[in-house]
Amino acid sequence: MRNKNVVSLLILVLGTLGILALTHAQNAPEASEKGKEVYEQSCAHCHGTEGRGDGAAAENLLPQPRDFTRGLYKIRSTESGELPTDQDLFDIITEGMPGSSMPGWETALSANERWEVVAYIKTFHSGFKEREAPPREISLEGKIPFSEESVEIGKGLYTELGCVECHGNVGRGDGTSAPTLTDAWNFQTWPANLTQGWTYRGGSDTEDIFKRFIGGIAGSPMPAFEGDSFLHFGLTSEESKRLTELENMDEMTEADEEASNQFYEKMDEAVNIALNRVEGVELSAAEQQLYDNAMKVVYEKSWHLANYVKSLMPEERPEPAIGNNVLRSQYIQGELPTIDDAAWETSEARYFPLVGQIVVEPRQFNPTIDAVNVKSFYNDTEVVFLFIWDDRTYTTGDETDETTGKPLEDALAVQFPVKVPQGPTAPKPYFLGGGRLPVYLWHWKASAPEQVTELTAKGINAAEVQEVQADLQVKSTYTDGQYKLWVKRALKTEDKKDLQLESGVFVPIAFSAWDGSNGDIDTKRTITSWYTFVLEPVPSSRRFIYPPLIAILSFGLLVGLRAAVQRRNSVS
Amino acid sequence: MKRLSLFTTCLIILVGSWVFLEFVVGGLISVPIPGSVVAMYMGLVIIAILVHISVEDSLFQEFLRPIHETLVDDRRRLRRRVIAVLIPIFLLGYTYSIIAQRANPPGSPRDAHPSPPLELTYKDEVIGAMQDVVNPFRHYEKDDPEAFKAHVENGRRVYHQNCFPCHGDHLDGQGHFASYLQPLPANFQDPGIIPNFQESFFFWRIAKGGPGLPAAGTPWDSAMPVWEDHLTKEEIWDVILFLSDYTGYQFRTFGEAH
Repeated sequence: MRNKNVVSLLILVLGTLGILALTHAQNAPEASEKGKEVYEQSCAHCHGTEGRGDGAAAENLLPQPRDFTRGLYKIRSTESGELPTDQDLFDIITEGMPGSSMPGWETALSANERWEVVAYIKTFHSGFKEREAPPREISLEGKIPFSEESVEIGKGLYTELGCVECHGNVGRGDGTSAPTLTDAWNFQTWPANLTQGWTYRGGSDTEDIFKRFIGGIAGSPMPAFEGDSFLHFGLTSEESKRLTELENMDEMTEADEEASNQFYEKMDEAVNIALNRVEGVELSAAEQQLYDNAMKVVYEKSWHLANYVKSLMPEERPEPAIGNNVLRSQYIQGELPTIDDAAWETSEARYFPLVGQIVVEPRQFNPTIDAVNVKSFYNDTEVVFLFIWDDRTYTTGDETDETTGKPLEDALAVQFPVKVPQGPTAPKPYFLGGGRLPVYLWHWKASAPEQVTELTAKGINAAEVQEVQADLQVKSTYTDGQYKLWVKRALKTEDKKDLQLESGVFVPIAFSAWDGSNGDIDTKRTITSWYTFVLEPVPSSRRFIYPPLIAILSFGLLVGLRAAVQRRNSVS
Repeated sequence: MKRLSLFTTCLIILVGSWVFLEFVVGGLISVPIPGSVVAMYMGLVIIAILVHISVEDSLFQEFLRPIHETLVDDRRRLRRRVIAVLIPIFLLGYTYSIIAQRANPPGSPRDAHPSPPLELTYKDEVIGAMQDVVNPFRHYEKDDPEAFKAHVENGRRVYHQNCFPCHGDHLDGQGHFASYLQPLPANFQDPGIIPNFQESFFFWRIAKGGPGLPAAGTPWDSAMPVWEDHLTKEEIWDVILFLSDYTGYQFRTFGEAH
């Protein structure tokens, strides 16, 4: 009797759960109240209550928050023209988009909340509801592992495909078309600096890069690798090689002409099949086979290219020059290295990440310069610095700012206090100026590439050119999207408004950088707060004297002790 | 098994105590213990050992016996030689590492929440005594929920147009500009922040920003703007309402305690 009750109770419970599960499954594509609630609390301020990417914060953001209504999603694991999978959306919400203002929500929202938001976001674009088949996902099969050969092939493809046009010779996003690019919403957009993996919106694993190639970055100028992206789509690599040979012949025999025509026909056929496929035409088995073979080559090339792009970046974002990682100027005897001296290669750069200056109007909410890298040497009388930073454009003031009428140009400022604070509690000048203590600045502009002006400032808008200009030696270069600025100064000067340098003293240092093509001017710029630099003292030669002395002494003591004990033993 | 000599026992106690302090208490159980504290405890252990071995003369002789043997006994020749080499080598390395050590920059002692001034001001206008000033829109929470909601929404707008690049979408101090600022932007999701301060304190910190801090708060390092230059009084009070509304934390209040 009792068992029967238990069984019927079980059936009842399981039945209810089953019905619940079914209704949940049916409701899943529809947005729940919960999804809307989470969206409005956590997403709407950027993406807008209607999902149009026009929230309160949007005007200050570049890249702009996604407008969900057009169904253009940059980061997908699906083929070109497809909407993302739910997992794609979930992953982006979870991990965020590096290099943009989209944060990861892994800790702030529960997994359940994130899924609810995914469902809600999908309601903004009808395509999600209307699609009948699941989206075609990019196959990661046949991944070509990283190797020097693969990188070399990828490097060739980088040029062949025209990546250089936007991403530049070595990938710093400084191609000739870089300043002209806009996205599907007509906002300016910059090509990725491929050497900075930490700014890749969809992650910088080789697989991530590969997916961006095959799927494209929807809404941006980055195209998907379609059939005819690569040379000789539809041919195997041997056939492609043969065709190139034929094309380069000065004179062709009839047989050669015949052979090359066959190759062209094969390529045309492959392109036609690819176009039909995009338009949704059903492919015959033979056509599908032909297409698959052609795509296999595209996939292979894409893996090589992904390996090449991967080779352009350091494994991780460099550690900032905080704590014990301070900038240490190394002592050398005799002449300091010139700008192109090989000695710079022996010294590791310190990394100073820049952020937009948003304290004083006009403000820069959308910085384009990631960081300044600095190396330094000094000798008995002089110090030399090498400042290195990436800037996609070389801007020397040909255009002027609309509001101020001043020329827009690239520039760098290095800031020190005039007097080094004595001790950790002593006041420093405010890093953006404005306090009672003045700062000493080196100001370099791209329009005067061999000149640095010394300034004194008590505020970000209150800089004055010093009357006495120290004899600073300056050189600079701009190559492949990267500035190098070389500055040499005497350790000591006669001018009381200059910083006087002494070995072993920790000196506050800060930077500002301007990217003219990003509208940077005056206070609209990128900045760092105070960091530290030191002329690393020459290691004391005492380190070769005292330790051996102490070792010998301690040995002597042991011997003496033994002798004393022995003597006492013999006496007793 | 051979009984351990008194000397070995004392050595084991000494090393064991050090390992316990350094790695068990200062590692497994809690955060690392400062070197000076470890030194103090180790001093106590050494005194205890010295007291113990010097209680009786025979005990002291027993303690010295292995040292004595190592020094002169021919059966301990190998041990003697090993020690005669190891001790000088250890001292050599140790003094070298001390002399050749690179100097590191001094840490900055910073009071993250220094005492506010006695008077709360906006630009030059005195609002009132820091202790007494309350958020003028806080009472809507009870009196007029609709009006309160409008103020919170305005605060939400102000926050996302001005504060979120540093303090973050989730108010956790992890905005996209935040990672390399020193000091880091405040994390309002930290339970130790909002509940410990009055709204007037927040108004002061927002209005005067980093430069308005007293010296103990190292104003020269803070990237916090002087928001009274950009925002109206109402906007600052509204953004304060939004901070507590979004995080669910209540600001500290006085005068309502039981």
